[in-house]
Amino acid sequence: MNMPRLSRRQRALANCAPITEERARDRSMRSAVFRAGGSNEFVNQQSFDRAVAALVHAIPIPPETAEWFSTKDLISPSKWTWKKTVRNPAVLAIGIALVVIAGVLVFQFVGRLNDFPGSATARNLLRIAGSTRSVLLDPVSADAGTLSDLFFMKHGLEHYDVPAEFADFRTIGCRVFEDDQSQRVAQIWVAERRMQFFLFPAQRDAKTGAVLRFPGWRYIRQEGWVGAVKEHNGVCFMAALPGRERDLAPYIPKTKQ
Amino acid sequence: MMGDARKAQEIFETTLREAALRAAHGELPKEPFWLFRDARWRCLEASETDLQAEPLEIDDRDVVSESPSQIGQLEPAQLAIWISSAPDPQRTALALFYLDEFDYREILDLAELKLSELSRLLAMGRRQFQAWLDAMLPKTPNI
Repeated sequence: MNMPRLSRRQRALANCAPITEERARDRSMRSAVFRAGGSNEFVNQQSFDRAVAALVHAIPIPPETAEWFSTKDLISPSKWTWKKTVRNPAVLAIGIALVVIAGVLVFQFVGRLNDFPGSATARNLLRIAGSTRSVLLDPVSADAGTLSDLFFMKHGLEHYDVPAEFADFRTIGCRVFEDDQSQRVAQIWVAERRMQFFLFPAQRDAKTGAVLRFPGWRYIRQEGWVGAVKEHNGVCFMAALPGRERDLAPYIPKTKQ
Repeated sequence: MMGDARKAQEIFETTLREAALRAAHGELPKEPFWLFRDARWRCLEASETDLQAEPLEIDDRDVVSESPSQIGQLEPAQLAIWISSAPDPQRTALALFYLDEFDYREILDLAELKLSELSRLLAMGRRQFQAWLDAMLPKTPNI
């Protein structure tokens, strides 16, 4: 069988085809060897090369020289330095992935540092605050502190009291709704700085049913809104406004947690 | 490369002595094959002062299936002498290739050749060696 049609480069590579297969390290060489492989010319060349290589290896090496190679490879593999290891794309990719994972974990850990019983509900309500339009609420123009009676009388919600710090704020509207956990939540919209108040049941221990209390005010952030939460008599009150902690801080007594 | 064990031994020892000195001074090059490149140049330098073999006028021959049996009749020293008498860079190309320790890219790097040059030198070397075999030894069928 004649040598198949090979490109000039493939023919050049076939002429340099390795004597032992493990030296065919690159794809272009393997491809050229594969294409040339069936021809008599190439088979003769390989047999010739193997015979010559065998004879080369039979060339006697003086004992003084031979002892240098008795326990060592002719070419020592290149050493892996730290710099070389770090530049390896696989190591680099793993490193970046680990940094990102560590970053996410740290971010979540820092976020959880401010967690308190009921913080998940509070975050959810901050989301609702951001999407609520005033038309959804029943228009009520009164002091926020007076709405406790309304919630008790109309909706049977006990201890849904607005703290004294926010009791004098004028309201625009209010409503009572159930959140995704079927908890009854009171929402109040006040005129001051698009602020909203939420009153919702405090989190309870799953086994004993006891209220999980926490002292003072706790700040919480979600989607550009900030809330300050306080628990009293098994009900949490949250004042929320769009902005940052410093925007809400002037309304919160200095004794906050 | 040398075709003479005594000279090869001398060059080997000189190369290693020089390498040890450079290592002691912390001057070892970072390139992987510098020792082989160094040894190669020492071989070429040493053979410049030697008597040069006269070029043999034999027509090149295609490599045939009987070649391995012809090669099997040779003494290793005969092959060493044949390779060492080839002009450089063909001598380097043949010596490095049939040592079977390097792939073709490493040979290109070591011998400072292009792929087309290495290919031509090896192909020519095979045909010349086959012609020499045919002249020296009778063909016997390869079983």
